[in-house]
Amino acid sequence: MKQAYLGIDVGSISTKGVIINEDNQILSSSYIWTEGDPIGAVKRLLRLLEEDFPKDTYTVMGTGVTGSARKLVGTIVGATIVKNEITAHAVGTTTFYPNVRTILEIGGQDSKIILVENGVAVDYAMNTLCAAGTGAFLSSQAKRLGMEVEEIGGYALRSQHPTPIAARCTVFAESDLVHKIQMGHPREDIIAGVCRAVVANYLNNVGKGKKILSPVVFQGGVSKNAGVVAAFEDALGCKVFVDQNGHLMGALGAAILARRSRVRRAFDFAVEDLEFHTRESPCGRCPNNCEIICVYQGDRLIDAWGNRCDQGAVTPD
Amino acid sequence: MTASTPHTIGLPRALLYHRYGPLWRTFFRALGIKTVVSPPTSRKILDQGSALAADETCLSVKIFLGHVQELVGSCDYILIPRISDFGRGRSMCVRFESLYDVTRNLFRSSGQEFLSYNVDLLQNLEEAPAFLSLGQSLGFSPKEVKKAYSAAKKQEQQVWKARLKAQEPLYRAEGLKILVAGHSYILDDPYVGKVITDFLKQSGVIPIRADIVDRAAALKASPKLSPTCKWEFSRELVGSIALHQDQVDGIILLSAFPCGPDAMVNEILVRRLKDIPVLNMVLDGQSGTAGVETRLESFVDIIRFKEGSL
Amino acid sequence: MKTQRKIAFPRYAEYNCALKYFVEQGLDATYILQPALTRRTEELGAKYSPDFVCTPFKTLLGSMIESLEAGADTLFMTHGFCRLGYFGELQEQILRDLGYSFDFLNLAEHSTGKKKDWVRAIKWVNPRANLGKLTLRARDTIKMVQYLDQVTSFYYENCGFDASSGEYQKTYQQFISAMYTVTSKREIETVYQRTMDRLRRIPLDKPAHPLRVGVVGELYTVMDPFSNLELEQKLADMGVEIHRWMTLTNRLIHYPGEKNLNPEIRDLCTYEMGPTSTANIWCARKYAQQGFDGLIHIKSASCTPEIDIMPVLQNISTDYKIPLLCLTYDAQTSDVGLMTRLEAFYDMIDAKKRMRR
Repeated sequence: MKQAYLGIDVGSISTKGVIINEDNQILSSSYIWTEGDPIGAVKRLLRLLEEDFPKDTYTVMGTGVTGSARKLVGTIVGATIVKNEITAHAVGTTTFYPNVRTILEIGGQDSKIILVENGVAVDYAMNTLCAAGTGAFLSSQAKRLGMEVEEIGGYALRSQHPTPIAARCTVFAESDLVHKIQMGHPREDIIAGVCRAVVANYLNNVGKGKKILSPVVFQGGVSKNAGVVAAFEDALGCKVFVDQNGHLMGALGAAILARRSRVRRAFDFAVEDLEFHTRESPCGRCPNNCEIICVYQGDRLIDAWGNRCDQGAVTPD
Repeated sequence: MTASTPHTIGLPRALLYHRYGPLWRTFFRALGIKTVVSPPTSRKILDQGSALAADETCLSVKIFLGHVQELVGSCDYILIPRISDFGRGRSMCVRFESLYDVTRNLFRSSGQEFLSYNVDLLQNLEEAPAFLSLGQSLGFSPKEVKKAYSAAKKQEQQVWKARLKAQEPLYRAEGLKILVAGHSYILDDPYVGKVITDFLKQSGVIPIRADIVDRAAALKASPKLSPTCKWEFSRELVGSIALHQDQVDGIILLSAFPCGPDAMVNEILVRRLKDIPVLNMVLDGQSGTAGVETRLESFVDIIRFKEGSL
Repeated sequence: MKTQRKIAFPRYAEYNCALKYFVEQGLDATYILQPALTRRTEELGAKYSPDFVCTPFKTLLGSMIESLEAGADTLFMTHGFCRLGYFGELQEQILRDLGYSFDFLNLAEHSTGKKKDWVRAIKWVNPRANLGKLTLRARDTIKMVQYLDQVTSFYYENCGFDASSGEYQKTYQQFISAMYTVTSKREIETVYQRTMDRLRRIPLDKPAHPLRVGVVGELYTVMDPFSNLELEQKLADMGVEIHRWMTLTNRLIHYPGEKNLNPEIRDLCTYEMGPTSTANIWCARKYAQQGFDGLIHIKSASCTPEIDIMPVLQNISTDYKIPLLCLTYDAQTSDVGLMTRLEAFYDMIDAKKRMRR
């Protein structure tokens, strides 16, 4: 039997998974919506991954988990490594693009920039509070225009005169958008304007003070939007690479990290059929009132976290 | 004049230019130096500045940096004074302490040279000697510099007196009078505050600027409304309100997002000005005019309604 | 005659123990210690503060409310060189508008630099205060602040390498608790000596060249573990030696002064850019020159002086090729978001160090 490695990236909007072999070749991959239920999403994801996975030749011996729900999902699947999404993206991208200098990433709620030198991340930044430079902003604007977010990339490319859209933050942008619609700007110009606003916001917030050097790789859900890619190329004045597996890069990074780490533990797809649930309860032992998150497999408490001090510590059964 | 004398000095049309413009222009002209002033604020200038400044920087500084960008390469030096305070209880917002160094660091790789003078009365650094060393560093004799400075001071006072004199009768004019309290660099900027005063005029209201005031009298009056307010420009506005609140029908507190001192001082004013309608308005320079006009209109309507004229 | 005043000062890291000592032993008044900062404090403060003030204003306001709830009748507020100098007046106004009754000593009203104005402030607090004794206790108070800072610095440099199971943290926490109960100079000395002896005896598992990170930033948030979500502890626990020069001792008691610090950073900035700017720039450059593995800049949202030094720190980071992580805190900043950033930062500086070897 040959060894394979599973990587899972659970974000707020989408959940991604890959299984790779020793040569980083993808044996199986999947991309689904999280729909506010990371546990359910991971189970569905594993079922989908299992369908294509050549079980007779490979066994999964390492499992890496990343993304905002990494801790919870890591507990459930019995991960051999749990890593933050910045490192996972950097590792994934540099494996496939060893010369990359800048990684742009725009996901549903988060956006980040990672600067790379000699295959190692040397600087990075993440968005602050504002969502204006993220996928959530793009989806809400698409909705306002009565379109699906998947459609708007093509529309944007048709525009000759993108409409300038105020982009400092979602609220201001929305009121400006309404105004521009009422003034009768063509839809493709407004859409191209929104794509440019996303890029302008990203560069003004996340990319502030960072020297963006070529080659540039752009990934995350928004990288599938051709309008945003074009706006990036326009603003940066260089080619922007989008990998066909760009949306899977976090999961790939997690799988590669699992392969690189020395921990080996066979993964069992039977996890799909186990019952997990979480219970959040306010601790109440001090005015911090931390939300303690308890993870149960059936009735058994398998992990808990969220407490700021020892008073709220919960020990698994 | 020596070989090191520069040919042109750039003046960004933002922030302190709206206070010291006449002083700077006359001073350099008297020394035989050409000055170039950046064009009035535009969307392009604001966008340039926003791209440079940290996201949380206030609108006025973003605009300033956009003006600097506009001047880069077109002059030998760009003038950015560092003004810290005019004595105890008379500070400037820290932005005016740091502006020269912030700009220098942001434009480090542009090759542009900057020029500064330092006013910090708590450290015994007054304006006159600051100008003297500025002039001397440009290769002029103390005598030449002193002469230029005194000519510039005279011009500054004349311009200021004329502005005061032009506004004074407005307090006695017939009609609805609204005191607009905002920093000069907001109200003088056609892209930001002038939109507001113009709109008020169109609506038949007489806007009166709180920043155009006898500054010494305003400083003396400001503790009546806020005893520990320590920012020179805020004190001028607070004092002006204290002096004039009985002569106007309403007050608009106008600030640019996110102004540090205004966020606190205007909160105090809103809580303490009880007998007069007050509108606290924060401009962000991006949201378009529609929302602003609605708020101004309803504020004016409220005053008219109260006074029985609506 | 009036009964003893019940005095409180909003929470500020663990410095309240020194204030407590000064009020009780020096001013002969009662000190009311409100509960430690919690999310409730933050929520209370945010609820009653204007939007665009910095986070410390909100936290301090929340803590003032909690001290009034705990029975204080007199509140102290300090002056300061940035917006801090105006905090007191606005906070008092907000509390009065909320209907609280209390006496308020706003040092911004007394900071004229003249001795007689200080004496007037002291006599206002306690007309029978003994100035001679007060001076002696003030000296002890300063000593307490220095000891607190010394022990805290030593702790964060080493706690990430504690080879026992939690002895290090336990000793530090016992030290803090003890400092809240001391009543004499002698006790202060004993507690300090005992703590340092114990800390030095705890075995460490520390490599010859550990990862070293320098932390700089805004006066309140950089020092207050609650406000910075225990950044130093979190990073130390990953196995990092933490250095932070910015303490009350270094900034207020033993400040080398603009005159001495400015010449060393003249190429980066010509003038004093703000109350803590020179120190932070000087300090960040020193860490970079000493070959630290990373720099972290901490500030609260909308802190003007700290926003303004960011371009300078960026240039230091570029010149010395030292990774810089800039963190802006406000009431919405979460533990989870911070952990993601810190873990990534750790991975980055760790990988960089391995590469160099």
